[in-house]
Amino acid sequence: MLSVCCGLSAQQTDTLSASQVSTYKVLPVVRPSEQVAFLPGQVRPSPQVSELLRRFTGVQVKDYGGVGGLKTINVRSLGSEHVGIFLDGILVDNAQNMQVDLGRFSADAFSAIALYNAQKTQRLQTAKEYAAGAAVHLSLEQPYLIWGDSSGKVRLRAGSFGTVNPSIQWDRRLGGVLLRVGAEFLTSNGKYKYDYFGTPLTRENGDITSGRLDARLSGSLLGGKWSLLLYGYGSERGFPGPVIRRSEEFPFSAERQADRDIFAQGSWTKDWTPRYSTAVRFKYSNNYIHYNTHPEKNPMALPYNLHYLQQSAYGSLAQSLGLADFWSVDLSTDFQYNTLDSDVGQFVRPRRAAFTGALATLLTWSKFRAEAHLVYAATWDWFDQRNAGGWSREDTFRDVWMPSVSLFFAPARWLEIDAFAKRTYRLPSFNDLYYSLMGNSALVPESAAQLGADIRMSARAGAWDLEARLSPYYNHVDDKIVAIPTSSQFRWTMLNIGKVDITGVDAKVRTGRDIGFADRRADLTLRYTFQRALDHTTPGSLIWGNQIPYIPLHSGGVDLSLLWEKWTFAWNTTITGERWSRTANTDDYRIAPWSLSDASIARKFLLADLLGSSPRGLFPELSVGLALNNIFNQSYQIVQGYPMPGFNAMLSIELAW
Amino acid sequence: MLCGALFLGACQKIDYREEPSKDEELTGQLVDVSPFSGAARKLFVLNEGQMGSNNASLDFLRFPFGIYISDAFAKMNPSVGAGLGDVGNDIAVIGEELWMVVNNSGIVEVVSVFDETEVAAISVPTPRNIAFDDKYAYVTSWAGAFATGAYDEYGNYSITDYYNTKGQVYRINLKTKQVEGSVEVGYQPEGIAYYGGKLYVANSGGISSQLPPSYSYDSTVSIIDAASFKVSSTVDVQINLKDVYSDGAGNIYVTTLGNFWDVHSGLYTFNVSNPTSVSLISNYVSVSAIYGDTVYCIGTDTEFDWSAAHEYSLWGAQNGKKTIGISLDLSGIAPYSFFVLDPNTFFIGDAGDYVNPGTLNCFHRGNKLWSIQVGVCPGHFVAY
Repeated sequence: MLSVCCGLSAQQTDTLSASQVSTYKVLPVVRPSEQVAFLPGQVRPSPQVSELLRRFTGVQVKDYGGVGGLKTINVRSLGSEHVGIFLDGILVDNAQNMQVDLGRFSADAFSAIALYNAQKTQRLQTAKEYAAGAAVHLSLEQPYLIWGDSSGKVRLRAGSFGTVNPSIQWDRRLGGVLLRVGAEFLTSNGKYKYDYFGTPLTRENGDITSGRLDARLSGSLLGGKWSLLLYGYGSERGFPGPVIRRSEEFPFSAERQADRDIFAQGSWTKDWTPRYSTAVRFKYSNNYIHYNTHPEKNPMALPYNLHYLQQSAYGSLAQSLGLADFWSVDLSTDFQYNTLDSDVGQFVRPRRAAFTGALATLLTWSKFRAEAHLVYAATWDWFDQRNAGGWSREDTFRDVWMPSVSLFFAPARWLEIDAFAKRTYRLPSFNDLYYSLMGNSALVPESAAQLGADIRMSARAGAWDLEARLSPYYNHVDDKIVAIPTSSQFRWTMLNIGKVDITGVDAKVRTGRDIGFADRRADLTLRYTFQRALDHTTPGSLIWGNQIPYIPLHSGGVDLSLLWEKWTFAWNTTITGERWSRTANTDDYRIAPWSLSDASIARKFLLADLLGSSPRGLFPELSVGLALNNIFNQSYQIVQGYPMPGFNAMLSIELAW
Repeated sequence: MLCGALFLGACQKIDYREEPSKDEELTGQLVDVSPFSGAARKLFVLNEGQMGSNNASLDFLRFPFGIYISDAFAKMNPSVGAGLGDVGNDIAVIGEELWMVVNNSGIVEVVSVFDETEVAAISVPTPRNIAFDDKYAYVTSWAGAFATGAYDEYGNYSITDYYNTKGQVYRINLKTKQVEGSVEVGYQPEGIAYYGGKLYVANSGGISSQLPPSYSYDSTVSIIDAASFKVSSTVDVQINLKDVYSDGAGNIYVTTLGNFWDVHSGLYTFNVSNPTSVSLISNYVSVSAIYGDTVYCIGTDTEFDWSAAHEYSLWGAQNGKKTIGISLDLSGIAPYSFFVLDPNTFFIGDAGDYVNPGTLNCFHRGNKLWSIQVGVCPGHFVAY
């Protein structure tokens, strides 16, 4: 059995093939900056993907608090719009505001969560994977069928904030087709105590109810492999609003949002020859949001009741050709069409057609490896424009070239060095361009230039093993899209004016030890991130040279995990240094450092042991886990005005058969 | 003697108290006020703060020494843990009291002009601006409007329940600090002024313009008879009204914001004797203020060009006509707020990026005397 977390080179396979059947394999140039991987049936130390990502070096997770609060990820201060979230290689995107809420992904669905700063090394990637500044890859867990043609799992998680979260999944082999069907339901009242300017109050209107239904199928077709994911998610939640002075006669917030997210994505991968492979991928998504401030319940609310419908169709063809044992080239071409409709006043009904093409090459010898690629991205937007005498349909064209190069060198068995340089752009979102009374359709893409290196060391002595990584980097964000006021304080606009220089270093040391047998193991990980992210927008301004909002200069943490036969224990402490809620780094806007400690304990039981019979070997298996979060009941905020919950606990019971 | 506040038509005689006040221990930045000291005791500055950040703050400039004190409300009222609140939207003095409208807190905060200590905190939903007569404070409020709709099976959106309620003017008893009724006016009322037994309320429709089905601004001034507290008439001016002033001699001035597209901002006027005869004095008003019988405006004719650096100019209006162009070097300043201490002394707030602390610029006889860092979005002034 594997350890609870793996993240470094020693625990990964060292060769990557284009597909599961290809014999032509390449060696990785770049490894994930961070990764957690889980074995089938392994209890996740946290049920939420956002919680696991928070423990990665170089990452800031913005969290508005509570089960239903928005959670987004920022990597190395580039801004969340530069981070691509990929679900089995296909981008989870949001053309409206480029914010992907990680809160809706449950960690149980994934076998691995990996963060890449430099380009992931893999053949047959989509062009979008090459175009992302930083990438989080979520790998869906494969159906787990060892003992026959069907297996399944039911789980109930319940605990603080009135949270009840049952889920079920069922795996089945139907001839040559593997099927996994899953369903999940979540409800939470979102109530927790917080400090309201010295008075304890309870957070209100933070409840959520959500449901998920999905089905995954995979099989063989025409000599290739195919997979299909059908996914439906719906939620209804309240937004508790920022903590501000509010007359006791009025509620803080009555804002509600209902959303529905449906998508279908799939792929077909085929090796035409041992050296030539292709992958075809597609996705259709349909995302509906209804936002209502409910002024009839809250006289303080601005009366908004808005509906948004976003649709996207996406197709990708990736081709990979091995020219020699050490040399391959890839050509990936993606097409996408996005629409956004809304009943916001003066809405311009944007439509976007996009082409992304990536040409990549890999050179891999065992001690020296290199990857280089060039991405061309072009978008055509159509939108309504207000002209003298009425409205007309306008269009704009934008294109960018994005080069990148990565190198890998292994001077010794215990030492690996990789380095990368990468330039990416993020497109202006529909909100940036067309938001009523604010958008600016003349925006150009925002650029991010990254330089980085990883030095990885590993050692093994007897039962002990040690891994260390040191990753210095420099990033420059230019033409950053920022909202600024105009000659009228009631009319803002978006401009490409921001500049940010980021210098940082991620450091991580992990040491572990097998205790007697492979099912007894202890691991200790220390993490540290230094990030100096300075605003360099307007020389001579009051804020020039100050740290940008919400980026701590110092952050880090400690992870401890212990596996003892059927017991698993994990401890995690995250420390975030002082930050400021705005670029004016004054005392008024300083956010105090905080640290957060979580622990979890889980035990597996074989029903055979409990019942005294052994119907099917290891199964059915019962797992019971208890997660204790914010053990020291720290009062802290990640986003100014949005208090996070104090001590909370979650119990989970899972039965797998 | 200085006459009241931005929206205060009636001139209040103020008796200065001579005993030392509790706020004298507060320290702050030193600035040069020697050319104009004697004009007032204090210049109060209300920094709006950023919505949702609970960082509205009250500053004041103390004469004759020239000490600029930041965040006086929080310093003088530690028991009000939450501070002044979220989005300070208006400020005015009556008698010995300073009234502040804290929009997103739903509070009208009353403090002593002498030491900024709290006298009362009055609940009013989404309060905007304030004016007084001798018995009441009148506060405009946006509370109310809503519309709901749904998509049908074909994906077409239609309104199912629509009720864009008009705003209100709340009346607060100056003695008891109790709300004594409200009267419905136009959509999203903003500025309010009192003259001759009547209240003049500028309706903006700023939210209506974003709401189905009509997506349109309001364009009216509601005239309220103070004695009966009922709307006596409504005057059509231009879309999206902002501030309203009385010159104390029967002329009412109204500024408009336009639609940010093809209807420009402007200064309009009418006489109380014939309110339906509205005339445009001039377009292009970014910020405005009144001193005595003169309305001062700063504007730019490139106001809807979001990419341009703007050149602002200052001008005045008197007796319903544009009278004076005043030369002032405003380069490098994006005016966010404006105050006229005397005809030679102007204060101009610059909100910068609206998120970080802004600046306060002081001009005297055409020259910039100084510029200091203040709170976020310095927006409203009153002297006493």
